[in-house]
Amino acid sequence: MVAKLLEVKNLQTYFYTEEGVVKAVDGVDFEIYPGETLGIVGESGCGKSVTSLSIMRLVESPPGRIEAGEIIFRGKDLTKISEKEMRKIRGNDISMIFQEPMTSLNPVYTVGNQIMEAIMLHKSVDKKEARRQAIEMLQKVGIPLPEQRVDEYPHQLSGGMRQRVMIAMALSCDPQLLIADEPTTALDVTIQAQILELMNSLKESYGMAIMMITHDLGVIAEVSDRVAVMYAGKVVEYSNVYPLFEDPKHPYTWGLMNSIPKLDKDVDRLEAIPGSVPSPLNFPEGCKFNTRCPLAEEKCYDQEPPLEDTGEGHLVRCWRYRDLEEIKKRGERIYEDRGVLD
Amino acid sequence: MADNLLEVRNLKKYFPVKSEIFKRTVAQVKAVDDISFSVEEGETLGLVGESGCGKSTTGRTILRLLKATAGDVVFEGKRVMELDAKEMRLLRRDMQIIFQDPYASLNPRMTVADIVGEPLVIHKLVTSKEEKYSKVKEILENVGMGAEYMNRYPHEFSGGQRQRIGVARALAVDPKLIIADEPVSALDVSVQAQVINLLQDLQKEYGLTYLFIAHDLSVVKHISDRVAVMYLGKIVELTDKKELFKNPMHPYTQSLLSAIPEADPKKKKDRIILKGDVPSPVNPPSGCRFHPRCPEAFEPCPEVEPEFKEYGDGHLAACHLLNN
Repeated sequence: MVAKLLEVKNLQTYFYTEEGVVKAVDGVDFEIYPGETLGIVGESGCGKSVTSLSIMRLVESPPGRIEAGEIIFRGKDLTKISEKEMRKIRGNDISMIFQEPMTSLNPVYTVGNQIMEAIMLHKSVDKKEARRQAIEMLQKVGIPLPEQRVDEYPHQLSGGMRQRVMIAMALSCDPQLLIADEPTTALDVTIQAQILELMNSLKESYGMAIMMITHDLGVIAEVSDRVAVMYAGKVVEYSNVYPLFEDPKHPYTWGLMNSIPKLDKDVDRLEAIPGSVPSPLNFPEGCKFNTRCPLAEEKCYDQEPPLEDTGEGHLVRCWRYRDLEEIKKRGERIYEDRGVLD
Repeated sequence: MADNLLEVRNLKKYFPVKSEIFKRTVAQVKAVDDISFSVEEGETLGLVGESGCGKSTTGRTILRLLKATAGDVVFEGKRVMELDAKEMRLLRRDMQIIFQDPYASLNPRMTVADIVGEPLVIHKLVTSKEEKYSKVKEILENVGMGAEYMNRYPHEFSGGQRQRIGVARALAVDPKLIIADEPVSALDVSVQAQVINLLQDLQKEYGLTYLFIAHDLSVVKHISDRVAVMYLGKIVELTDKKELFKNPMHPYTQSLLSAIPEADPKKKKDRIILKGDVPSPVNPPSGCRFHPRCPEAFEPCPEVEPEFKEYGDGHLAACHLLNN
């Protein structure tokens, strides 16, 4: 049995705003084993980014606060340790890359300086050695002419190159966990393909685990070993990647998969999920998906379903997943076109 | 065979790059560089490409929101570039646009009724306030929104609802052609499908013609009848969508198709990973613009620009490989 690298238990991160309490993350559980990739997929506002910021302890406080739960990284609960200890872990054991590389790089320092800063903060090396390592990292992430690029500023690089620099910086201290928050969303598809390939090969050579946060089911299918589907601050489905795509058990996951057009299959009409994500200030009672779910019945409005194991580690948070199973067997669609939506 | 509603002939749009002090033109961004295509009545032509390929500029130049550098746009037999202001205003009723960003394209100080009703007033299609409101109500119902939203402001709506308002505005004047410029790319996945379905329903109901501009190939494949692929200001391939996805001829199209991550973990793609970034359109590569990144480039590619011509049954492409 391999020890878990990271275990998140009942994480709750709330934001206290003037309009009320935003329960951005409301009871999230998952785990990551060494060397594996956990994909977290969900739409805007589902709490996927706040989950990652909570793990890094980067939630701005106030207004945000980790209300409850544990984040156990290699046996240590990150919610309980001091800021000083956390600083040793952040950027060293756990690194993070973000969606928009331009806003996460400092425009007034050369990329070399920024990578060297990370190296010198966590390793006891002198400036010369740090620079050598920075150049080596730039080369590893496939930046041409690294000796020259190391002295350039972020604005001199293209979007894809900037994301490579971010990755170089994140990997410069050999992290055991890399959190990638929508790392390819701002990039064109051909550049996205380059970056995903790079991340895959680096994952193998470094043996690190990756937590990949994205809204793109294609990216999820491609890189993940396991997947957590999030909706309105909760994990609604959690499974290995193959069974998830073959046999989605939650109506939301099912709807997401059928609402995207496929390259290899023609359909006349997409199965659109009606309405939109409810405001986090105003989540419904019971199951949070009940405002959009075609299967919702009385129980769904009264009680929140638990995350139930349907066998073989395929977890789903739905009262009616067995009924969905039947509908799928009959080959029917569940999302009727109602014409008037929202 | 249906008639061409829109014909674009050798369209060019260059933007000058000016020097900082004397504002002299020192270079030109060739955003759209000599492209030709036509759109039949009632069809959807998808225009696809990566950022900076000139697809949005093409849409805007057709509508004369940008002044073309050269070339012709013919709409229902009328040469759009030669119309005077009055004639152009009349034509704008027939050609409408839907924008990408539903947050930036709606005036935050106007109510939904005023946003959707404004084109009606401008084109003098309504004579009284009452008439405007009843017309707006009807249009909103057609895009799946109730009349109760009429007096609300854009900030009260979600992204998907705002995009519906944008669609309603375009629809208000009963246009023939709608240029949809990345209409779903700012929306959440589950809401994208709603708007795509809506656009398809409206097309059936009103016999609309779409020029659908997007970077997402799977969305373009779903909604289009034919697809044009753009790269650095040029159309590199244009054909029926089934043919394009089954038999892509241009190496760029092939790599673009192979680069899309598909929502199926069992599929392991043989990916053609392109090297480097899209070059700057200020100084595009000589010959074929794709040659520095093309995995199959050979002698003529850096020298001679390939001709955009037909390779059987309406399948057009511009690549030297195809002449071998």
